Amino acid sequence: MNGIWQALGNSHWDIEPHQARAALQMVPGPVVPVPAPEVVAFGAIGAVPPGMGIVLGGEIPYLPGALAIRDANRENWVTLDPVVKCYLPGVPRATYMPFPFQIFQSESAFFITYEYAGADRNVYLEDPGPPQVDAWMGQSVGHWEGDTFVVEASGFNGQAWLDRSGNHASYQLRVTERYTMTSPYHMLYEATMEDPSTFSRPWTIRLPLYKHIEDGARIGVFKCAEFVEELLYGQYRKSP
Amino acid sequence: MRYSALVLAIALGIAAEGPVTPAAAQTPSQTSGDWVVPRTADGHPDLQGNWSNATLTPLQRPSGRAAILTAEQVIDIEQGRESVVVERSVASDPDRGAPEAGGTNPVCIDAPTTCYNEVYIDPGTRVAVVNGEPRSSLVTMPLNGRIPPLSDEARQHRMESSQFNSQFGQTDHPELRPVAERCLVSFGSNAGPPMLPNGWYNNNYTIVQTADHVLIMAEMVHDARIIRIGDGPRLPGHMRPWLGDSWGHWEGDVLVVETTNLHPLQQYTSESMKVTERFSRVAEDALLYEFRIDDPTTYTEPWAGQVPMKALDDGLYEYACHEGNYSMSNVLSGARYQDRVEVDVSRN
Amino acid sequence: MTTKILMYGALAFGTAAFLAHAAPAVGHHAFGAEFDPDAPIRLQGKIVRVEWVNPHSWIHIEVANDDGTSRVWMVEGGTPNVLQRRGLRRDCLPIGSELIVDGYQAKDHSLPRANGRDVTFTDGRKFFLGSSGTGAPEDGAERGSLEAGGGRC
Repeated sequence: MNGIWQALGNSHWDIEPHQARAALQMVPGPVVPVPAPEVVAFGAIGAVPPGMGIVLGGEIPYLPGALAIRDANRENWVTLDPVVKCYLPGVPRATYMPFPFQIFQSESAFFITYEYAGADRNVYLEDPGPPQVDAWMGQSVGHWEGDTFVVEASGFNGQAWLDRSGNHASYQLRVTERYTMTSPYHMLYEATMEDPSTFSRPWTIRLPLYKHIEDGARIGVFKCAEFVEELLYGQYRKSP
Repeated sequence: MRYSALVLAIALGIAAEGPVTPAAAQTPSQTSGDWVVPRTADGHPDLQGNWSNATLTPLQRPSGRAAILTAEQVIDIEQGRESVVVERSVASDPDRGAPEAGGTNPVCIDAPTTCYNEVYIDPGTRVAVVNGEPRSSLVTMPLNGRIPPLSDEARQHRMESSQFNSQFGQTDHPELRPVAERCLVSFGSNAGPPMLPNGWYNNNYTIVQTADHVLIMAEMVHDARIIRIGDGPRLPGHMRPWLGDSWGHWEGDVLVVETTNLHPLQQYTSESMKVTERFSRVAEDALLYEFRIDDPTTYTEPWAGQVPMKALDDGLYEYACHEGNYSMSNVLSGARYQDRVEVDVSRN
Repeated sequence: MTTKILMYGALAFGTAAFLAHAAPAVGHHAFGAEFDPDAPIRLQGKIVRVEWVNPHSWIHIEVANDDGTSRVWMVEGGTPNVLQRRGLRRDCLPIGSELIVDGYQAKDHSLPRANGRDVTFTDGRKFFLGSSGTGAPEDGAERGSLEAGGGRC
């Protein structure tokens, strides 16, 4: 599975099936809701493209309280989406961010490094026991079932989202991923989410991953912490 | 040795492991006994695993020291460190008051105060031993163990930077803070290249090796260097990613890596700098890391060093620095608060 | 930037050896930039929350004021990665236990934040070494209620 991989499509905007909509954060308008002031300047670039979604069955089975949180997330997307602040994307969002990632697979290791924010996951091939700490990217343990690499990830801190549309889970989230090559250049990716405090039952996403085949393909460096300093710390600058 | 066991051992008067042990690090041609270098499926030495380069040996040689430490010096350094650990682990007086203003104890990073409990610091417990020699510095070339002087061009460049920065106070804007405080890279040159211990903590690395890549992740700030094996086009000169552009190749049992396009804010950098590194698996539990910096526009001569890397008997943990970076906002808001206080005082 | 010299032990404790360890020029975040060496402080209060984050952990303690009100102070700790390797785990930290902190307040005096220069239990044992004092959290006697998600000690 070595190589540089990337998801296509619009699942990072919204993993549920959805029509296009004007923006990720809307406010009431005189006739219909309109993009919120914080995002209106982006125009069509800030608009949400349509997508068939990647959730099997179409809808995430939220518990009522969790659905309310999801909706509140949408109302305040720009202040609440951790990726706006360049925070780590968590799992499974890291997989379908609009950035490539690279897998390093040897006889003794399986390591994934993501271009977005340099997020990293060392998938342990021997179970080290329960996670010692909650982390943005969790703790991952992998094993082979035939030709499918199965990864169990847990030990999340509950702060990452699942996409830009406010979909979320708590620190109790457990993700079971399945990576299966379907050709030398395609991989089928499935991830099942379990979180009894957020969802009424486990649910699964499925999407293909595509290998980068261009000459000299490489993942770049997107250390976005630098890019959000004005956003996070601009208010603390010495007088203009 | 686990820190907790070390403290306990010392407290009970039990000798910890002897500070001067025969070198585990040897050149590849001198493997001793029955040890055979482990190899990956493609026949190269296996560099994989978790490694630490923490050491009590500083980067540059303190004055008055020879290149190789005497046994007595090694004991002094290592037991000196042990003593500090024990001393600072002793219980405090629960009836103590606040510390002194300004402070009197000189042990701190940049102010005459004792800033932090000792427990935060994990610089290592041993001096660096290479080829059986306990070293007084990681730098081995020039022979005086110190980084060579800057070239005139570099001095000029730094003066210009200083002049530019002098229009600001150090806490005026986030961009003026050290890159480590901004959570862009670790302190010092952990990921580098060159990869150097930072003297503080978390000097840990994970190495994964495939037929055509070697990945080295430094714990802080989860920086993953991707080294391509082979020879390919370098990035254009204006592209200078944080960890540079690295190509590697095997020379016998040594992985040789050449890096260019170093990021302008890294500790060791210039547009023309080239860092050459050599990785060797010298023992079951050790790598030897060697580095060399070539840059006539910055230094009057090239310089080089050797850093042992020991197997880490533990995992690396996530170091999500930016996500928890209260320090940055504390520094800036603190400076603004002090600005307002000064204004109020001057008005009254 | 000048290179800072960090001296281990010898000078303060009179041993013959002197270890000069040059901290990197691009150093650890500047204590003097974040905390006010002219604002020393002593706090005593019960742990109400622990933020087990990098680059520094933060312990929230509730400190009683003279007038009967209380205020929650944030005390800066070390990097959890080091603490974990020393056997200390967030879920073993005794929420509810009383701590004594001496340190320096953040330069922003409007914030109830301080660096945890010396953080101890009420009997003086160093908090960050764990309840046994040797980095191995042990007997449950010191523990208050654990945070949710516990059971990982």
